Amino acid sequence: MTTTKSSLQPATLGQMTRMGLRYLSGRKLRTVLTTLAIVFGVALIFAINLTLPTMMSLFNSSLSVYGGADIAIASATGASFTPEEILSRVTAVEGVSAASGVLRRQFTLPSVGNELGSANSVELIGLDPTGIQTVRQFAISEGRFLQPDDSGAVVMPAGIAELAPALGLGTRFPLISSTGIRFYTIVGFTAEQGNLAVPPLYMALSDVQAAFNQPGLVNQIEISVQPGADRTAVTDAILAELGSGYVNAAGLDNSDLVATVQIGLTVMNLFGVLALFLGAFLIFNTFRTIVIERRRDLAMLRAIGATRRQVTTMILIESLLQGIIGTLIGLVFGYGLAALLFSVLGNAFRTYFPSTHFELSLNFGAVAMAVVLGLLASLLAGYFPARSAGKTSPLDAMRPAAVNINRATRSSLIIGGILIGVSIVMLLAGTKTAVGGAVLFLFGMIVAAPGLVIPMARLFSPLLTLWFAREGDLARGNLQRQPGRAAITASTLMIGLAVLILMAAVVSAFGILLERLSDVNFSSDVIITPPSIGVYTNVLGADESLMQRLEALPEVETAASLRYALSSVNGTSVNVLGIDPERYTQVASLAFSQGDAETAFAALTSGRGAIMTGIGASTLNLQLGDEVVLQTANGEQTYTIVGIGNDIMSFKINAVFISQANLAADFNKREDVLLMLNYVPDTDEEAALAAVNAVLADYPQFTAHPTGQYRAELINTTSAAFGMFYSIAVLILIPAALGLLNTLTINILERTREIGIVRAVGGSRKQVRRIVTSEALLLGIFGSALGVLAGVAMSYGFIGAFSTIGWDVPYIFPAAGVVAAIIVGVLLALFASVLPARSAAKLDIIRALQYE
Amino acid sequence: MTILRAEALTKMYGSASQPIYAVRDLNITIAEGEFVAIMGPSGSGKSTALYVMGGLDQPTSGHVWLRDQDLTTLPDDALSRVRRESIGFVFQFFNLIPVLTAAENVAMPMILNGMPRKEALERAHTSLKQVDLADRATHRPSELSGGQQQRAAIARALASQPAIILADEPTGNLDSRSSDEVVQILRNTVDQYKQTLVLVTHDPRVAAHADRIVFIKDGRIVDENNLKGAGSAEQIREQLSRVALSEG
Repeated sequence: MTTTKSSLQPATLGQMTRMGLRYLSGRKLRTVLTTLAIVFGVALIFAINLTLPTMMSLFNSSLSVYGGADIAIASATGASFTPEEILSRVTAVEGVSAASGVLRRQFTLPSVGNELGSANSVELIGLDPTGIQTVRQFAISEGRFLQPDDSGAVVMPAGIAELAPALGLGTRFPLISSTGIRFYTIVGFTAEQGNLAVPPLYMALSDVQAAFNQPGLVNQIEISVQPGADRTAVTDAILAELGSGYVNAAGLDNSDLVATVQIGLTVMNLFGVLALFLGAFLIFNTFRTIVIERRRDLAMLRAIGATRRQVTTMILIESLLQGIIGTLIGLVFGYGLAALLFSVLGNAFRTYFPSTHFELSLNFGAVAMAVVLGLLASLLAGYFPARSAGKTSPLDAMRPAAVNINRATRSSLIIGGILIGVSIVMLLAGTKTAVGGAVLFLFGMIVAAPGLVIPMARLFSPLLTLWFAREGDLARGNLQRQPGRAAITASTLMIGLAVLILMAAVVSAFGILLERLSDVNFSSDVIITPPSIGVYTNVLGADESLMQRLEALPEVETAASLRYALSSVNGTSVNVLGIDPERYTQVASLAFSQGDAETAFAALTSGRGAIMTGIGASTLNLQLGDEVVLQTANGEQTYTIVGIGNDIMSFKINAVFISQANLAADFNKREDVLLMLNYVPDTDEEAALAAVNAVLADYPQFTAHPTGQYRAELINTTSAAFGMFYSIAVLILIPAALGLLNTLTINILERTREIGIVRAVGGSRKQVRRIVTSEALLLGIFGSALGVLAGVAMSYGFIGAFSTIGWDVPYIFPAAGVVAAIIVGVLLALFASVLPARSAAKLDIIRALQYE
Repeated sequence: MTILRAEALTKMYGSASQPIYAVRDLNITIAEGEFVAIMGPSGSGKSTALYVMGGLDQPTSGHVWLRDQDLTTLPDDALSRVRRESIGFVFQFFNLIPVLTAAENVAMPMILNGMPRKEALERAHTSLKQVDLADRATHRPSELSGGQQQRAAIARALASQPAIILADEPTGNLDSRSSDEVVQILRNTVDQYKQTLVLVTHDPRVAAHADRIVFIKDGRIVDENNLKGAGSAEQIREQLSRVALSEG
């Protein structure tokens, strides 16, 4: 006969594929269950990657995009500066033709009293009407451009008609400013569509300076280059001239926001990968079973001359086939899921980003990522079983099975035990190693699980015999026969339940943290908030006039405010919050983890003192007494850390509290973005609130809340947001449930003949059902026990890690989470057993006995 | 001409201090076109001897030559190739792949060898005709009777025109009528195609068809009988019980 060197000819591969398909279709139920695991993981990853990039691009498009001038320069922190000296230095640079100072800023509009139609935010761009036209040209489609003596005149893009059709030449409309409501008149329209997510309003520089209470300041320099000059080279020359305090404004976007969305994308993808990982677990389990089940077939193939590689390839092809099918279905489901997300989120997005295209579009990257991960997971899961299939001896075709499990389980116990030991040391060693310890603990449990099956089954089966006196022992024996499979099933359940406990612990720890922070932080009578708190980038606050007017009210005893600027430390952006220590301490305080209130607040006013938030201190690796160099509008300034403390609104951000005097001196900022008031004792609070609201009528960007009420609302919405964490745990529990279902089904398929014998010797259908149910229960209890251990360790590690980011939360044993996990684990097992138990009970005795 | 030769073949289990010999210092020569039956009581080592001679198992010591190739020195891949190309196996449990049709099962060794599917299936059909199973070519094993399955397995062994066929209790799992059919087919392949055949059995009626019977006890050859295909089952049964009762 013909002989060939290669053992993997096309004909051979073709035949293997054919066999793989037939084997898969021969066990339809099992194939479906195993494939579902891949489908789930792929769908999740695909949906996430279809949805989030589209949203990211929406965010990006909503951010100010610079257009017009050849070059734009801004201060590194985005802070305003006096333009004269910078302008003269810039125009002296070779290749620069002209330069003009611009003050531009986008802010969120209040939801009431907005006459700009459906615009949610706007960008005010203050221009020197003469100077700017030496830098760039404006094409006017209607009316005129700004003139030097304009006051209250606005030019806006013609495209705004889409948002606010009522606007026309001569329209006079109100707009919030930091000095109260101001009125503007439309004098012209530019022939541009404009970024309708944040429409630009062009005004005279002096008008914008007045609106932001920044007289004489600009925050960008627009520059045109001489004809023939190299723009990049000129930009570099300008930046070299100005030093590190200035950057190319074209590179400035709202990178914080983009980074946040990107982190979200990564985190969601991690969960997709985790789900896929659990899916791979299931495939691994199934294929291991397949290899054991087909031992005779494989050995026979070896006996008639198949090489090890051919046998390995055959199993790999089969897992790949399953991966391909699962991935394809997963893509379809993922697209559906994304479409669903879009339709749910679409309405919300359309109100925020009107007239932006919001369509689900297939992108190659998302498809590629889902396909690669899906196939990789199935191949990887098939690899080890395939390799062990290749090791099948041809003699196995002739002799009965003798599986030596003791050695394998013992070594898994030893290795797992060592890992767990190391992880416990790491958990107890301190907060820095705690998270690593928690993850290692979980890993150690997975490794040790096969060795724990027999002792655990022995430990829990007496419990089981309470309900299943006769069937319990049989169930235990069945589990012990396949410790590897039982271990993997229990491990998937363990991961799901551990995540559940962790989430419960984290949510309750956050609750405690919020309570503590709000206790020290919300001691005022009234809190006056802008449209968004915590992140003030797009907030247009108020100048001193608001506070003065509020303090002038007879009902008000003390007023204090928060001011805001953006800075950076070694390239990491930092929010700078300005407080007046004397006033602030009368209405609120901070929760200190290093230093104490009295000395820290006093130190803010002597020189440059700073109180850092916990996250800030851990991100920048700073301690009490350290010095930190902040990038300011006037170059770098050194501040001393006089305390580490949090308030409820900024505990989750990288922020630093400094005195308002320093904020004004170093950042040119005098704008209040948040105010707190204390009433005179025994004031009629309702009347007082009415008086406050009357003042706020001129500042519609602000809303006044009685602090107690606001605190309750904030805690409610925050806990609701943290409740989202639970949905993550649910996502992880789905593959765990699939795993249980899968294992129980496989166990029954494998024992079809035995079940036939049980029935033949007189076992009732009910008894068969009870055997399966008790087996499921034992698995569920086993998985829950592992999950509780892992969950407690993980929550201990992660909450310990809270303190490293400056959140002081005591570790509280997650009792509720543990109880929930046990209940969920056992219920899940019972639920998963319903179908397999029924199908086992329904088996036809004769056919079961003939089953191969 | 000698096809297969085993020399001082030993297969030992257990530890060196407490050895258990399945095969002990066995020497045998199989000539081309010869039909040899190996008989012996349970546990005598007859199947182990067959597996070692067929390259399914490695001996503890000794050599097996297939024509001029020493199987005991070959690496696994080369040994697989020898099994694929030069040896045909028939087992007690018919060992067909359940998801493949009879023809596909027969074609499997050739397909494993890289032969195009169509050609391999054609050859398989020829082989199936030889065992009188052509009309069942597209049936799966579960749709065939025990005797038919064993005939398909024999067709598989024949299809690659191996140098030798090794059969381990091929009738052990069959009723007497199917058993007769199978033995008759095996005898025919020897007579018509000069096929060399070594068969392990404990059934004297099967062994009676062989040219020569080798009796094994405790891993050693203890007796031989040259029947030239004309022995009586009664006579063989007597000889077998004598071997079983003799002191090892």
